[in-house]
Amino acid sequence: MRKYTTSSGKVIIKPFNKIWIVLAVLIVLLVIFDQFIYSYQITLSEIGVILKKMFTPDTNDTWGDYFSYIFTLKDPLVLTLQMSFAGSLIGSVLAVPVAFMASSNIMKSKWIYVPVRTLLNLIRTIPAMVLVLIGVYFVGTGVLSGIIGLSLFSFGIMAKMLFEAIETVDMNPYEALESTGANKIQAFKYAVVPQIMPTYVSYLIYIFELNIRASAILGFVGVEGIGKSISDNIPANYDHVGAAVMLLFVLILTIQMLSTHLRGRLQ
Amino acid sequence: MSKLENVLKKEPRRWIMNLVFAIAMILALIYSFSGSSINILRLQTVGIQFKLMLRGFSEINWNFLIGTGLYDFDEGIIYLALQTLSIAFTGTLIGSVLAIPFAFLSSKKIVGKFSKIGITLITFIRVFPEIILVLILVKGFGMTPLACVITIGLHSIGMLGKMFSEVIDNMDDGPIEALDAVGANTWQKIRYGIFPQIIPDLSSIALYRLDINVRSASILGIVGTTAGGFGAILSLAALFVDWRTLAAVLVVIVVLVLTVDAISSYLRRKLV
Amino acid sequence: MIKFVNVSKTYLNGVEALKSINLEVNDGEFVAIIGLSGAGKSTLLRSINKMIEITSGQILIDDVDIASIKGKELRMMRRSIGMIFQSFNLVKKMSVFNNVLSGRVAYHPTYKTILGLFPKEDKLLALDSLDAMGILDKAFARADQLSGGQQQRVALARALTQKPKLILADEPVASLDPITTVQVMDDFAKVNKEYGITIITNMHHVDLALKYANRIIGVKDGIVMYDGPANGINDEMLVKIYGRSLKHDEVLGETDA
Repeated sequence: MRKYTTSSGKVIIKPFNKIWIVLAVLIVLLVIFDQFIYSYQITLSEIGVILKKMFTPDTNDTWGDYFSYIFTLKDPLVLTLQMSFAGSLIGSVLAVPVAFMASSNIMKSKWIYVPVRTLLNLIRTIPAMVLVLIGVYFVGTGVLSGIIGLSLFSFGIMAKMLFEAIETVDMNPYEALESTGANKIQAFKYAVVPQIMPTYVSYLIYIFELNIRASAILGFVGVEGIGKSISDNIPANYDHVGAAVMLLFVLILTIQMLSTHLRGRLQ
Repeated sequence: MSKLENVLKKEPRRWIMNLVFAIAMILALIYSFSGSSINILRLQTVGIQFKLMLRGFSEINWNFLIGTGLYDFDEGIIYLALQTLSIAFTGTLIGSVLAIPFAFLSSKKIVGKFSKIGITLITFIRVFPEIILVLILVKGFGMTPLACVITIGLHSIGMLGKMFSEVIDNMDDGPIEALDAVGANTWQKIRYGIFPQIIPDLSSIALYRLDINVRSASILGIVGTTAGGFGAILSLAALFVDWRTLAAVLVVIVVLVLTVDAISSYLRRKLV
Repeated sequence: MIKFVNVSKTYLNGVEALKSINLEVNDGEFVAIIGLSGAGKSTLLRSINKMIEITSGQILIDDVDIASIKGKELRMMRRSIGMIFQSFNLVKKMSVFNNVLSGRVAYHPTYKTILGLFPKEDKLLALDSLDAMGILDKAFARADQLSGGQQQRVALARALTQKPKLILADEPVASLDPITTVQVMDDFAKVNKEYGITIITNMHHVDLALKYANRIIGVKDGIVMYDGPANGINDEMLVKIYGRSLKHDEVLGETDA
């Protein structure tokens, strides 16, 4: 608070600048949280060492050997693609009716859409890895557990994004349809779905990309695919790890670019 | 043929295309399952196992909340929860600050043609899987929470950089023009023309990212028991099929994520 | 004080916005530039503070050719020239006070302005300017909480805080309703008479221009058709400047202000 007096004698008070409060809170939080973060030793040079191990051929190998490993990854790659495809498709399809029920502009009653959204939130808070772990327990480390886990994961994400998109849609055609006697589902199909289709497809591709990324983590709990190939080679063959990572990277990048391109054409 | 029939002829084609597309998808889906091997014996026991799981969930291992020395953990779940939160918070903060220069470099408004360089860099960072990044960083920072913090920080630059640059691209040029007319130099234009406009939006995006990072931080710990967070204990509990502990951890995760979600949504509403 | 000598401006797309303009503006005058959209009014105005660079000719401010001025010198020049825009150009989420204060940035070293360390005199000057515009009570409100007319006054206060010798205004009232328009134009008149600041403004409301300015410059297709006192304009001359008789939105008409 500062008082200023102008040349004509008027007095004005400058209110306290909120930004200092924000900064103070941030600093306090940082100090508290720092207690939980510790490190034994920092050997930054080790990072260079491992990068070299990962991305250059082993001592007796050549670059040819290094890259030829990628060809052996053909089967895990297919598994990963299958898993991600199935997971994103199943999850996204299942998400449609749920998103329908979670939209406040369609399900006007709070008693319906609020519980649905809460349930959705609950499913979304469980990390994908946990879902897959449970799946692994039931059906083994095969692709199936990955599909189940990824389906639930995709379902959560798609349902949330979808109902948010449904709520921004132009409601006029929907109301027009309702007035002709159509029920909610019919009105939804003919008035909302056409509007939302491009968005849905672009979300679908995005979720597919997310699933492929997730497959890297899934490998660590034993699910087959590129992820497992990576985790199996630690700590013995870092050069294999590096090659597999590059493959994964290129894969995601390709889908990324496809997705951006398609999104541009859909809009 | 009458005019109407001619028009009607054009209609069915789309219908056929949709059908073909749907069949293709279904076939692809069925093919996707071909890679999985379903253990028949396992399937039969699924029913029993499901019941076991539910029972485990109902007898939650509440002791673990404080600490029981299980699986070589001295700390309890509450500690782990706070640790996860710390990792996510610090990581997001670092990521936000580092993302700002990247965002400027990827914005057509600021650097024009050279924005492609920034955009490409950001895409690379965004695509690089977090789990691999953390593996690399533990070599440098030890199997510790610090490695997770840096991982989250660096990985966040990807998404934050992109969204920040969108904010910059959508900003109002007028005030900057006015500052030009007043004789301000570039730094002054940034400080008085750009920053006041974008800070609320950037903060909102950062809070959104915090949400996502809390979930990431929960999982990253899987690389090792001392790495912090829930990851390690989750995988250990799964390994030993310890439903009770798993349930306890899950409950805490859910509570943590929902709380952060609520706080973040509230703050973001106030920022608009 | 300001001299245009054979000034021409051709844009990259070939449009000849200004064709060999010659004119002189003296200190303390209130000049209004009128003409059709695209006649070259904005180009003429913005070439004075080099927001737009001319392609040939000379512009002299206080007998100094501005062609060679750039970099730090240019900023020094601009800090004594205030500019008002049609869309106000305030930072919406920032306080009115900070918006006005930002007019002083070119008077201090960079590091001080980045940290917000303006001297007390500057802050009092900002408040005085706001007071002169009658909106002191809004000093610490967020800029976007004010009405259009008030925002333009904030912009004017920002210009005043620069302690300028000249204020350029590019269609300052085009976004305002008729009553607020008159209020803001009254403020311009006050600034001109009480502080002796030269004002050069673009307008598309002809009757407003005639009422407030003591000198009119009529521009058509990049050429000065008329340059003289406001009472020297008659309907014939207006047809020459506009190439036709006036449309109704080019005349403000009667208001009960």
